[in-house]
Amino acid sequence: MFSKVEKYPALTLALIAVSFLIFGYSTSLPKITDFIIFCIFVIGFDLLYGHMGQLSFGHMLYLGAGAYGCGMFAYHVYPDPFLSLLVGVLVGAGLAAILGLVVVKTSHAAFALLNLALNEVGAYLVLSPLHTWTGGEDGLSLFFKSYGFINFSDRTFRFYFCLAALLLVVLLVVRLVRSPYGILLKSIKENETRVKFLGYNTYMYKYVTFIISGAIVGFSGALTSLNLAYCNTSLMAPSRNVEVIFAALMGGAGSVLGAVVGGTAFMTISNYLASYIVRWEMFLGVALLAFAFWFRKGIWGYARKL
Amino acid sequence: MGEPILATSGVTKRFDGLVAVDDITYEVAEGETAGIIGPNGAGKSTFFNLLTGYFKPSQGQVYFRGRDVTVLPSYQRVMLGIARTFQLVSVFDSMTVMENMMLARVRQGPDYDSKLRFFFKNVHYKGLERECGEALETLGIAGKADTLTADMGYGEKRELEIAIALSLNPKILLLDEPFAGLSLVDIAHISEVIKKIKGKFTIVIIEHKISKLMDLVESLCVINEGALVCNGNPQEVICDAKVKACYWGKEDMVCY
Repeated sequence: MFSKVEKYPALTLALIAVSFLIFGYSTSLPKITDFIIFCIFVIGFDLLYGHMGQLSFGHMLYLGAGAYGCGMFAYHVYPDPFLSLLVGVLVGAGLAAILGLVVVKTSHAAFALLNLALNEVGAYLVLSPLHTWTGGEDGLSLFFKSYGFINFSDRTFRFYFCLAALLLVVLLVVRLVRSPYGILLKSIKENETRVKFLGYNTYMYKYVTFIISGAIVGFSGALTSLNLAYCNTSLMAPSRNVEVIFAALMGGAGSVLGAVVGGTAFMTISNYLASYIVRWEMFLGVALLAFAFWFRKGIWGYARKL
Repeated sequence: MGEPILATSGVTKRFDGLVAVDDITYEVAEGETAGIIGPNGAGKSTFFNLLTGYFKPSQGQVYFRGRDVTVLPSYQRVMLGIARTFQLVSVFDSMTVMENMMLARVRQGPDYDSKLRFFFKNVHYKGLERECGEALETLGIAGKADTLTADMGYGEKRELEIAIALSLNPKILLLDEPFAGLSLVDIAHISEVIKKIKGKFTIVIIEHKISKLMDLVESLCVINEGALVCNGNPQEVICDAKVKACYWGKEDMVCY
């Protein structure tokens, strides 16, 4: 039954929108706004991991790049929310375009670790050498201009804005995945060498995918800055890379809806379980074991077969 | 026959001291169907890998229609018209048969040139599906279009791989042991297919049993221990003393 949902993008979008509206109004809008932004992060990450088959251990770098790109523009240049968002996306994509030239030449363990190493470098740069602009350990407190009802200090507006952003990203990725390029990604994941013998320059497409992923993750970072009205080093913390990997695994890698389900599931556990169990991370560890051994396809991977 | 379409001059491939291909100078004439035979481990597949750009030769050159393609990456050689299949069938198990075909076909069509369409157009549109369906039809596997490739038999996968290679608009088709691991029925079928497409473009077939090639090829080349032993008319080649020496005691040779 659920597999039908994936065939119709409109249905996918409607399902996501309705779920988050119900979820938002039955709990708390600011909390669910965090959920939504995290889902965008997972989608961007999963384009590389689930769709192209390369696990990055350092995508917090692009989240941070987007967050600081947006935040620093608003703080130092001009506090227009939309321009700041755009700068955040461009910084994420631009950084991916520069680093991707080298990163994409590696694969598997080297790919994962090289990304982590770059993430560490980025986190250090932001914390110390660039602290005059980034605010160092204190980060930056942000203020954004408002235009009539477009007011980012209004939590309801932020919720709807982020939900619209998520729907936009989902629509974009769904289109990408159903296109010839989507099939190409799938084939690169399975056997990159073979794809070259169909006449495709696989390096170029891996590079492009890396940039798209950087842009989406950068977008989620910029939204985080906008939503929290501050940005600090925790948005680039290398230790937080596990979160997105875990979310992608939990939801089911290689599916846009899987990423959304995984992102929501992860945020639910980390937000709500923490109030009942102090060391909630242990539960995450046990859950990861269960997923690794029995539910390789994740929650959505199983639900779609129902 | 005509001008050579693909030629090598003194190509050598070494792997850490092992000489897999040793100074082979070879050419295939445009339009002919050529065979390459030799015992297992003779270096036939490695030679193919040099022709298609899977490996770069340690020494020597590869020419396509007179152009030096020695350092050209494999994906560019494909676009020149050099298509190949693999000894161990290599198709994408995680995709359907139709998706496998589409991936190959799209690269040749107008949708590849328009990046907007390549990235955003839904791949399941009528024109492409029909085109791919026809390609599957020629190999007799059109009924399997929506099957997951992993669920197909080995012989069917081989047919799919040939259909994919054919849809790359090849000028020259390199088949690496197309009969290996197949049942007699499948061998007969693949053999029929090759006879059907023979003459439309150049074909080179690797095989280690001579008997399967005799009624398919116009020229035969024997490789042993990495070196070219003999090349020419099939009937003459199999009578050659050097060829007999390297195939000595093989049942196939006694037959002829």
